Amino acid sequence: MNADETDAQIREVANERRLPSSHLDRWLAMDPPSRAAVLDIARILHLRTGQLVTALDIVEEISVRDQITVVAILDRPEIRRIASGSGSAPSRASALLEALRTLRYPLLKRMQEQLRSEVSALKLPRGISIDLPKDLGSDELTVSLRARSGAELAHLLDTLDRSRSGLTRIVEMLGGKK
Amino acid sequence: MKFELDAVYVERGCEDSALAARVLRAIPRDVPVTHVDDAREASRPASGARDPFGAGKRRLVVSHRKTPFLMPCPAGSSKFACCGYLVLTLASNCPMDCSYCFLQEYLADNPAFQVYANYTDSFDELDRLIANSRGRSFRVGTGEIADSLAFDSITGISRDLIDFFGSHENLTLELKTKTDEIENLLDVDPRGRVLVSWTLSTDAVYRSSEHLTASPAARIAAARAVLDAGYRVAFHFDPLIAYPDAERDYLLLIDELLDVISPKQISFISMGGLRMTPRLRGAARSRFPDDPMLCGEDVLASDGRFRTFTPLRLNLYRTLAHRFKKAGAEVPAYLCMEPASVHEHVFGAVPARPATIGERLARA
Repeated sequence: MNADETDAQIREVANERRLPSSHLDRWLAMDPPSRAAVLDIARILHLRTGQLVTALDIVEEISVRDQITVVAILDRPEIRRIASGSGSAPSRASALLEALRTLRYPLLKRMQEQLRSEVSALKLPRGISIDLPKDLGSDELTVSLRARSGAELAHLLDTLDRSRSGLTRIVEMLGGKK
Repeated sequence: MKFELDAVYVERGCEDSALAARVLRAIPRDVPVTHVDDAREASRPASGARDPFGAGKRRLVVSHRKTPFLMPCPAGSSKFACCGYLVLTLASNCPMDCSYCFLQEYLADNPAFQVYANYTDSFDELDRLIANSRGRSFRVGTGEIADSLAFDSITGISRDLIDFFGSHENLTLELKTKTDEIENLLDVDPRGRVLVSWTLSTDAVYRSSEHLTASPAARIAAARAVLDAGYRVAFHFDPLIAYPDAERDYLLLIDELLDVISPKQISFISMGGLRMTPRLRGAARSRFPDDPMLCGEDVLASDGRFRTFTPLRLNLYRTLAHRFKKAGAEVPAYLCMEPASVHEHVFGAVPARPATIGERLARA
């Protein structure tokens, strides 16, 4: 397929998906192998409008930050595995966006995993829930208790008290302590 | 003059001002000068320009300011633990062009570089402030919506300011800059009442994002020169940008600073992570689409701004604060646009009230 044919097909996909014109312009402004690679993956995974917008935003940001082409990003093994893997197109489309977010926010994803593993290591009962701030956008840890009797509440408070050092460590990690 | 201008506009009524005379004497002959009835017309974004904000920076407008010069720092909010900084608006916009600059949003509708011919009226406002607050000390800066020194070679405003502040012992003037335009400062006696502060960034940030500014090394050298001329100095690590290798680079930058200026000689430091409203982020990325510093691990924070996710940002603050703590003498420090809880994480103590911090920094 030559560049003109690729561009015609990109316009067709953009038209079908009612892609915002600013995103279409940015897509067409990519180098030819990159715009063809985005077209391929959009077609293989039947990306919906929102998914295509998100994918375009993320690959552009990774490309600027890491000074690499979009085709190089989409050629990474973890992305190729999703594109050529089995499973339904919608589930693979979700997996693609998650994989791209992991490439876009590697330290955030790692930190979220560390914090989640700290939380699960506390082995708290069902009546206590620990919520990390969305996208670690603040230093606030939310601890909720759900009790239906005085005895249950006392038990949960005792459990919390025993988890004090672990919870403190989590709050300190949110506060930037390594 | 180190920065280029496309045009100068002088508002009617300002033609005979000392400032207009100084500007017209200093600009190159080939820069066209136009007299206008209303400076607002000349200050608006140029229609048809590919980059109206960038074009506005190259247009200098001498006008009469009709609103007060003195105001609390516009970044202040009850959500943040603020530093009690007062802002004196003697100019608006900046000839340098940092990709992350908040003025791209703040002055989007008003981007010309404006200087106010009646700037000495601000001295009356300062006199009233002192008269109404006996015994208190204030830190007053001119570098919030303009660089304090960027056009000083043509406006010469700094000399009048230094004269005024030098004779008022409850006032400290902060001249905040990313330039090395210090010539006007070197032959004036600040009488201990003037501090010059520099935003310090790593070489990577400077090269990627801080267009037309002096290099970090040149800023440090300029700081040494004004220190030797009797000024106090301070440094703003703001915005701190958490790119890969940022920690290593910022520590290296601090080492380079402390090689030239001892911690005892630094009045204070401030730190603030890169923060952008969605509108600013859009404007910045559209003007600087290839700047990797604008594509960090930023998330939408609870204050509606994109910021580096919290643990990473706070870790960077802690690392820098620790380095200064280890430097051998305590350097007063504060965080800009961060809540009290973040101060506690970083410095291990609840911050004082803004007015108290302001007084401490004024005397630091």
